Amino acid sequence: MSRVGVGAALRWEVRKLRAQLRARAVLVAAVLAPIPVVFILHGQSRPPKDTLFGRFALENGFALALLVLGFASQWVLPLLTAIVAGDVFASEDQHGTWKTVLTRSTSRGQLFWAKTITACGFAAIVLLLLTASTIVSSLLVVGHQPLTGLSGQTIPAATALKLVTASWATMLPPMLGFTCLALLLSVWSRNPAIGIAAPVVIAMVMQLLGSLGGIDAVRPLLLSTPFEAWHGLLAAPHFTGPLTQGALVCAAWGAVSLLGAYLVLRRRDITGG
Amino acid sequence: MTEQLAVDAVGVTKSFGSLRAVDDITVQVAPGEVYGVLGPNGAGKTTFLRMLFGLIRPDAGTIRVFGRTWEKDGINVLDGVAGFIESPKFYPYLTGRQNLEGLALLDGGDRADRLAEVLEVVDLTDRAGDKVSGYSYGMRQRLGVAASLLRDPRLLVLDEPANGLDPAGIRDMRALVKRLAGSGLTVLLSSHHMDEVEEICDNVTIMRTGSVAFHGTIEKLRTMAPDPGYALSTGDDVRAREVAGRHPSVAVTTDPDAELVVTGPRDDVAAYVADLVRSGIRLDGFIATRTPLESLFFMLTDAESSVEGAA
Repeated sequence: MSRVGVGAALRWEVRKLRAQLRARAVLVAAVLAPIPVVFILHGQSRPPKDTLFGRFALENGFALALLVLGFASQWVLPLLTAIVAGDVFASEDQHGTWKTVLTRSTSRGQLFWAKTITACGFAAIVLLLLTASTIVSSLLVVGHQPLTGLSGQTIPAATALKLVTASWATMLPPMLGFTCLALLLSVWSRNPAIGIAAPVVIAMVMQLLGSLGGIDAVRPLLLSTPFEAWHGLLAAPHFTGPLTQGALVCAAWGAVSLLGAYLVLRRRDITGG
Repeated sequence: MTEQLAVDAVGVTKSFGSLRAVDDITVQVAPGEVYGVLGPNGAGKTTFLRMLFGLIRPDAGTIRVFGRTWEKDGINVLDGVAGFIESPKFYPYLTGRQNLEGLALLDGGDRADRLAEVLEVVDLTDRAGDKVSGYSYGMRQRLGVAASLLRDPRLLVLDEPANGLDPAGIRDMRALVKRLAGSGLTVLLSSHHMDEVEEICDNVTIMRTGSVAFHGTIEKLRTMAPDPGYALSTGDDVRAREVAGRHPSVAVTTDPDAELVVTGPRDDVAAYVADLVRSGIRLDGFIATRTPLESLFFMLTDAESSVEGAA
């Protein structure tokens, strides 16, 4: 029998994902959902002035794209990634298929990495589609006028496009952090509902904690804080310290979550199914 | 050099909390053998097979498959091994063929060309394009056999393959297992049906609450088996008992339902029944209740009883 690597297991995971209606629906939603959101926001008579970039959202496409980014980072991005990551291990328990796949020539470790790569890849694709759809629809509907930055500076349209795209791209580390957390919850709970819902609840609790006073030492360690690290890109002068710190925090959350998930999966007795 | 055993499990023990599911059992299966692991539900058969497949870690003991161990060889232990535990499970949103294609991928992809062949063997060619969610229980069992055959195994492990099937399904599954066993495969078959094991297996281990109650050949088991028993219904039970007095090797007792139960060597029971007819006693029913091996199985697996010669 041929020796099997992670690649074969990865192809199998991708095939399964492509066959799942839920995963396809998330991808379609990532493309289509921003369009009505942009139209609805643009149709408002008064801009949401108390929100970051809300003041300019009705007259500037870049500002509108950043307004949507601020909203998406609160719970939409954790939810979108958790729909696959929170289910990818637990669904094997739900269908009783652990015993089917673990009695082939693929080890638990290989399946673990195949599922992890699949979930992370899915998160990246969803973010890419959501970013592209939001920015394109915002610019087409509202326009691409120069953007007023957080320090009141005027940012030319070409630079604004780069900065807005970069701001959306900074969502990737925390989104991957939440992906890893969802993977851990999926392995640990063996329940897709918990794997999907719990990361969203945790994200909202972290957002709430982050907004409280008196926890300055803890705030940078929260997985939700890196969702706000893009603010430095729109200030003058730029500052990237929060981005670096956020990436390290996300890496730590991701590493601990994956280590926990790996150990739980390696050690567990498969008694069900 | 001695021939390497297909399965060499020695002193295997597994507990779940305070429950000792498998207690120091030893099972050795030679290549080419058709081996039965028999026991009632909860005896520990499935736990043992899960340990064989590496799904569960034993607390103590060693399990070698073709000389390989999980500790030393990891997933390579399963080279040449296939089968399923309890009812086989598949991805319901994929078709039968897609499920097999995926499992072939997990085997390295070099068996994909055998898909049509194995689907033909289990008679699922026509339904291979349907989603598994629409399969009957029996079709899933057969797809499980197909998934196993895809690995071109030397050792086939089947855990109660006829469980949950209707009579026609049981007949077809037994015929399939017999055919596979006849092809020279080593087969390790778990069951709680004595007749299934008796029909197919050369050797058997009977388990009772996690431990081995008997280990040996089917022939040895037969020599230990009690006489067959029959339920007898007559027009005059009192006279039927009197006639039994002329047949000392035949015992006639009354069961809790007040039915007569006749036990004894087959020929002597036949002579007794002929005597009843000659004596003018109306015979309303004469039904074999348990086969001798079934009776022995119940004796062996009843925690309160013991059988001389059992392991």
